[in-house]
Amino acid sequence: MRVIRNYLVFLLVIGFFVSSLPAEKVKPTYAVVGCRIHPVTGPVIENGTIIIRNGKIETLGPAAKVNIPEDAEVVEAQGLEAYPGLIDAYSQYFLETKSPSGSTAQRRPPFSAPAEERSWDKTNFLVLDNLKFKKTTLSSLHKAGITTILVTPPQQIFAGVSTLLNLNGEKFPPMVLNDKVFLHLYFTTSRGGYPSSLMGTVALFRQSFLDAQHYALQKKTFLRFPAKVSRPEYDAFLERLLPYVVEKKPVVFDCANMQDIKRAINLIEEFKLNGFIAGANEAWRVIDWVKRAKNPLLVTVDFKPPLGSRYANLGEELKKKAEKEIYPRNPAELQKNGLTFALVSGKISNPKEFIKKVTQAVEAGLPADKALQALTIVPARLLQVDSYLGSLEPGKIANVILTKGQLLTKGCQVTRVFVDGLSFEVQAPAAKGAQAPSVNLSGKWKVTVVSQMVTMEMTMDLTQEGSSLTGRLTSEMGNWEISEGTLSGDKLTLVIAANVMGQDMELTFEGQATKDKITGSISFMGGSAEMTATRIPDKS
Amino acid sequence: MKWRKFVGLILAMVWLGLSPLGAGQDLFIKNGTLLTITQGIIHGGDILIIDGKIKEIGQNLTPPKGIRVIDATGKYVMPGIIDSHTHVALSGTNEASVAISSKVRMKDVINPEDPAIFTALTGGVTMVHTMHGSANPIGGENVVLKMKWGKSSEEMYVPYAYRTLKFALGENPKRANMMGFSAQPRYPQTRMGVIAIIRREFAKARSYMREWERYNQLKKNKKLVSFILPPRRNLRLEPLVLMLQGKMVARCHTYQADETLEFIKLSKEFGFKIGAFEHAWEAYKIVKELAAEKIGISVFADNWAYKMEAYQGIAYMAGFCAKHGVLVSINSDSGERIRRLFNDAAKTMRYGDLSEDEALKLITINPAIQLGVQKRVGSLEVGKDADIAIFNKHPLSAYTRCEMTIIEGEVYFDRAKYLEEQQKKAAAKKPHKKGGQK
Repeated sequence: MRVIRNYLVFLLVIGFFVSSLPAEKVKPTYAVVGCRIHPVTGPVIENGTIIIRNGKIETLGPAAKVNIPEDAEVVEAQGLEAYPGLIDAYSQYFLETKSPSGSTAQRRPPFSAPAEERSWDKTNFLVLDNLKFKKTTLSSLHKAGITTILVTPPQQIFAGVSTLLNLNGEKFPPMVLNDKVFLHLYFTTSRGGYPSSLMGTVALFRQSFLDAQHYALQKKTFLRFPAKVSRPEYDAFLERLLPYVVEKKPVVFDCANMQDIKRAINLIEEFKLNGFIAGANEAWRVIDWVKRAKNPLLVTVDFKPPLGSRYANLGEELKKKAEKEIYPRNPAELQKNGLTFALVSGKISNPKEFIKKVTQAVEAGLPADKALQALTIVPARLLQVDSYLGSLEPGKIANVILTKGQLLTKGCQVTRVFVDGLSFEVQAPAAKGAQAPSVNLSGKWKVTVVSQMVTMEMTMDLTQEGSSLTGRLTSEMGNWEISEGTLSGDKLTLVIAANVMGQDMELTFEGQATKDKITGSISFMGGSAEMTATRIPDKS
Repeated sequence: MKWRKFVGLILAMVWLGLSPLGAGQDLFIKNGTLLTITQGIIHGGDILIIDGKIKEIGQNLTPPKGIRVIDATGKYVMPGIIDSHTHVALSGTNEASVAISSKVRMKDVINPEDPAIFTALTGGVTMVHTMHGSANPIGGENVVLKMKWGKSSEEMYVPYAYRTLKFALGENPKRANMMGFSAQPRYPQTRMGVIAIIRREFAKARSYMREWERYNQLKKNKKLVSFILPPRRNLRLEPLVLMLQGKMVARCHTYQADETLEFIKLSKEFGFKIGAFEHAWEAYKIVKELAAEKIGISVFADNWAYKMEAYQGIAYMAGFCAKHGVLVSINSDSGERIRRLFNDAAKTMRYGDLSEDEALKLITINPAIQLGVQKRVGSLEVGKDADIAIFNKHPLSAYTRCEMTIIEGEVYFDRAKYLEEQQKKAAAKKPHKKGGQK
């Protein structure tokens, strides 16, 4: 009797605590019905239903086996495909790129050591502290089906610590899954001071890792024999290296070419690091190394042959062929050799382009299911979030995307994404009233921008596929990607990801196009300017 | 422009391995004039190569069945040329930001895709000593490579060569000619400063070495208590310790005779070995000292006066020094001059009065000795690596041309085949597009 009473009291107490927890925002419940479900970790389910409740996948299965709860908002998804949200495990979206601190003029006063000691040490750079939200970026990621991104620090020898975001809204804190994922390392040089050469950088890595090992030993010995050993002098840089060198937290080496991959593997082996290899679009050229070393791989689908590669050095013709035919085979080659890897965007700054390149890898021989895994469960495992992300399974976080057409095939469109169980409608690229394009604008253009302040000349490369346009603008100010472009009839809209004096900004162009001439206006930061473009005739 | 495009195309083909040049490690070279370097000239000579090694040399040898035979009738066959000082096949030359950059290793930045490797092959070069630059009193550890174009950096690497560390004296480490652009003034600014900083570094290395010796002694005698830590490893001093222990040799860039002698004194003070002096345009002034110390030089045949400290160069230098018992090699210091080292060697016959044999030694066995690889390469001898260059005329003739370059029995350059492929490719390419790429 007493036992039962105690039990009841216990229940009451528990109940009290549970009910007195701060009320969490109640997330809506959805029933996604009628879609073909691709769980990634299990077989495809035709005519399936997914119940999303409170941010999680409550259940999923064939329509016949899943009851639709009364409180659920039904999402009709007949004819659509459902996938887990895609993960881009090596990107720089939202990163506010800052030039290295200290002005160049002050960096090296004469007859003294470099003003900025250890300018290569950005181990205290936390990506999370350097993010700036941009709505257009979020929507272009969603539009590509990407719901989770790892944001990596800007290039530096010891570059900083990456952050993993679940793209569930407009504020960073709720998005953060992990604010300290990897320490990022680059085979780059330091401007103005040591190291000014690649061999200097390798030496710096080795000496730094050795120093961290020694520092750890000193600290340990001091604690054991405080009376006999002098206290090691505090070193902020080595302190920050300890977790990676001693506790073996993961570090990522950015590998721009095949020699970098070998350099990374040599360092990882010499210092027994928990090392990841990122970039690595030349992994196919050192496949034996990669196979032997078995380091986790974050493989970019940037297929540009690296500078210095024989494929980049021997004329435009070969370079183009390499980018189009040879380098896209890298993922397929890795897969054939039994390696698992995540596919990542790396230097590709446009989500749509990223998915397009993954599709290109599939066309070059990578099985589509492996490609899908490389965008979902594999990166989830490598990022150690596979217990709650990376596949469609009951209990996992509801990162779900709906697409028209199979993912990684041409013409596939993402229509809706759920992130953390929140629904984001993705505007279809071809809005109502859109017309078929009346001209083809592919080719080279000479662009003149006239504003009150300046007249600027640029060249523009456009590639048109159906009604969508991609390309880039080249001027004295640098290369700007056209992140979005649509042509409806003769009405042209371009969104340009520009960088003006180190400042990222988005320019929008709207105008009309004929076969050889484009006219309209370009708007930026509240201002606008007239823009005209004339076709540069193709010499061939 | 057209010509450049053409060459680019051809190089592209070869580089991409579209043209399988001779494969396999067995080869039979038939009926050539063999310039063996160490064993005289064999007319109508044959070489049998098995597994990349020279198995037999002589007249009227019988090739084993199925072996690839290269007819060298009317041609001259010599050991592959060795360049004792160059900077090819590297991603980077100088770690110029600091005066002492001994912690860097060229081994870490081998670039197997440097087109200069192919250029080297076209001039019969099979091995190079590719070095850190001369921006610092103490540069970095150099590396010896075979010019196996198309192979990986590991396959090119020559592990049995001396380990060498670059030193530099004079204008370059003083940054005397760099005031205009990169350089902030940096210690040292004078020749005395250069020697002083090197001496200081060796002194540091010596005490660092002793620290380790003490530690290892305790460890060996089992007297090590757990609160005694090993010294902090210092990558900057480690190569200098290897030098103090005789496991690494100095290769010292120098011009003036006085500072060259100064460096010899330093080597005696600390007991390290000097592999060779580089450039050393005033070496002819100190031949007695160099010969007595058995220190070689690695020099240009001509081309001097490119800066103040190089004004006292003379055309007779290489030949004169060689005649006076100094081990001389002729180097390129360049990814271009590397393809005509045989021309440079020939100049020492006109200026310096060397014999054909003596002149050829400057680019074969002498650099091999300087690199400690003379047991493997540098002459045509049974048991040595089959690193071979075949010329249409005597390699010291002004009309000569390298026809074929072979490393370890594998043909890496075959001029006839290469030209044929170019022509085929060019023919397949017509009609030429207007405009074209640059």
